[in-house]
Amino acid sequence: MKKLFSALKGPVAGVALSLAVCAGLLALLGESPYVLLEALQSTLFTSFGLGYTLFYATPLIFTGLAVAVCFHCGLFNIGAEGQLYVGSVGIIVIGSLFPNLPGALALTFGVAAAFLFGGLWGGIAGFLKAKRGSHEVIVTILLNFVGIALANYLILYPLRNQTVQNPETVELSAPYFLPTLFESTGLFESTPVNLALLLAVLTACFMFFFLFRTAWGYELRAVGASNRASEFAGISVGRNTLLAMFIGGGLAGMVGVNEVMGHQHKLVEGFSPQYGFTGIAVALLARNHPIGILLSAVLFGALHNSAREIEFLSDKVSKELSLVLQGLIIAFVASHYLLENTLKRRKKGAA
Amino acid sequence: MIELLASSIRLATPLLFASMGGLLCERAGVATICLEGVMLTAAWTAAVVNYYTHNAWLAVTVALWVGALTMGMHAFLTITARADQIISGVVVNFLAAGITPLLTNALFGAPTNTPSIPLSDRFHSIELWGLSEVPGLGKILFAHPPLIYLALALPFAVHFAVYRTGLGLRLLASGDGPEALRTAGVSPGRVRYVALLAGGAIASLGGTFLSISHTSQFTRDMTAGRGFIALTALIFGKWRPVPTFFACLFFGFADAVQIQLQSTTVFGIQFPVQFIQALPYLVTLVVLVGFIGKAIPPLSIGKRLG
Repeated sequence: MKKLFSALKGPVAGVALSLAVCAGLLALLGESPYVLLEALQSTLFTSFGLGYTLFYATPLIFTGLAVAVCFHCGLFNIGAEGQLYVGSVGIIVIGSLFPNLPGALALTFGVAAAFLFGGLWGGIAGFLKAKRGSHEVIVTILLNFVGIALANYLILYPLRNQTVQNPETVELSAPYFLPTLFESTGLFESTPVNLALLLAVLTACFMFFFLFRTAWGYELRAVGASNRASEFAGISVGRNTLLAMFIGGGLAGMVGVNEVMGHQHKLVEGFSPQYGFTGIAVALLARNHPIGILLSAVLFGALHNSAREIEFLSDKVSKELSLVLQGLIIAFVASHYLLENTLKRRKKGAA
Repeated sequence: MIELLASSIRLATPLLFASMGGLLCERAGVATICLEGVMLTAAWTAAVVNYYTHNAWLAVTVALWVGALTMGMHAFLTITARADQIISGVVVNFLAAGITPLLTNALFGAPTNTPSIPLSDRFHSIELWGLSEVPGLGKILFAHPPLIYLALALPFAVHFAVYRTGLGLRLLASGDGPEALRTAGVSPGRVRYVALLAGGAIASLGGTFLSISHTSQFTRDMTAGRGFIALTALIFGKWRPVPTFFACLFFGFADAVQIQLQSTTVFGIQFPVQFIQALPYLVTLVVLVGFIGKAIPPLSIGKRLG
């Protein structure tokens, strides 16, 4: 219990400080800071608001895990944004190749396609890091631009739905549809939150098991802790680098399960409000712990939802407020050293 | 062809400023993936100051300070608060990407862009000593607005400053052996602060150029990954000013070709615009993994000071 408390202390303080700074910013922009509280209240404590919050949290669980698994291997995956588009394209490709599969098989194929396509895209960065020593940060950033351009091309040309004006692909066939929570349980009426949420929670539990209870996960974390020591112990750094980036890319790709199979049933150009980048904040706040990511994804889902709500309520603030909030939260969590030290000095001074 | 080369130089200019600013920071031992954010805040400031005061040079000056302060935040987070350098870079990029449209919205009622600056208030091309009349080269090299000349001269100035001055040597020591520097009685933290503030000021010019010289307004996310391309140019140039200069020119050329391709057909084929737009990033990627060879970064980069 004490351990849990001390683990939560930093992140909670970080979030509280960020919200305070953000309230100040709102006042500066000429908006009442209470708008923030109002928005948070409605996004967390009403059925409609919570439904949307959980809908936004679902992709963030996947991208948070995508960043975290690479972090455990000492890699910084800034490429989730590109990986999630490539993964979503994968679902549409498989869906149009095999439109008439029976239900369970179609769902399996869809999820596997999202994972594989995203994984291959992430794997490129892992391969280049392992073979050529190219820095994964720059490679994944550049691959974002290329991956999004590739997805946009496929959406606008080969996979395009010719019967509508909007830039979107053809529709999936019905066996690929993932039911919404309302359809399956009667909860969260008229919100898009769907069974992908359940899949995300299971994936997080599986990743916890994988990272901390299997030999593969142990090796992966060993490489993250020290390249040289792992090499001495006979653990291949290259193989684990490739594996981590492949899994990371695959997890990011599974964002498509929520968006394409669970919600839109087609792929729309530019659907992601930077889920990939927010995943970095999600993972950092949770200190890369898969179960912590569940909580932090819900928090960031709520913040994203609130920022949209505020944009709707106010003409002085736009939805980019959520970018500022994310930046602040990462900043406060990342500088915990400074905060803790100042507190310690205070205590010493008092004694 | 002449137009293509002149356009390459224009497009290389923001990369030159960003990579030279980045060079100072990275040689001092601090990874700077936040060049993007520094350019964004500077671009926004320059556009707004130029719009309200009708004075382009004042805009450059104010943006210089804002750029330095933005990088100063990176310095504070990495040096004083001992945050991870990559993570701190992400923070700065997030904040810059968020705060600029918020303020644009607050001032002008829409988050997407600031109003266009009238032509009379903007920088004009200076034709140096009538040299622009020289056939061929003249138009490529000698008919540009002032910031471009500054960008072209900058790498040589940085070369001199880094390799031929006492401050430059301290900078190199802070990146390659901060412990040795400390033994000599100099605080590596302080050297890094100075390097980052100066680097931020230089990188800010890249953003300023984009918003008030290359175009006439700030648009949301107008840097479009140029900070990262500049970083690759820096790696490509192995963290040395003059080779980095040529890398920037090369990436500027790739960008110019990209724009040219959008309006022409090659062998009767019109390439899809998405492919063409991805071209500069693809070229950067290929260069990064294929042709750089072993690039050894400054030894202490990414590490916290002891």
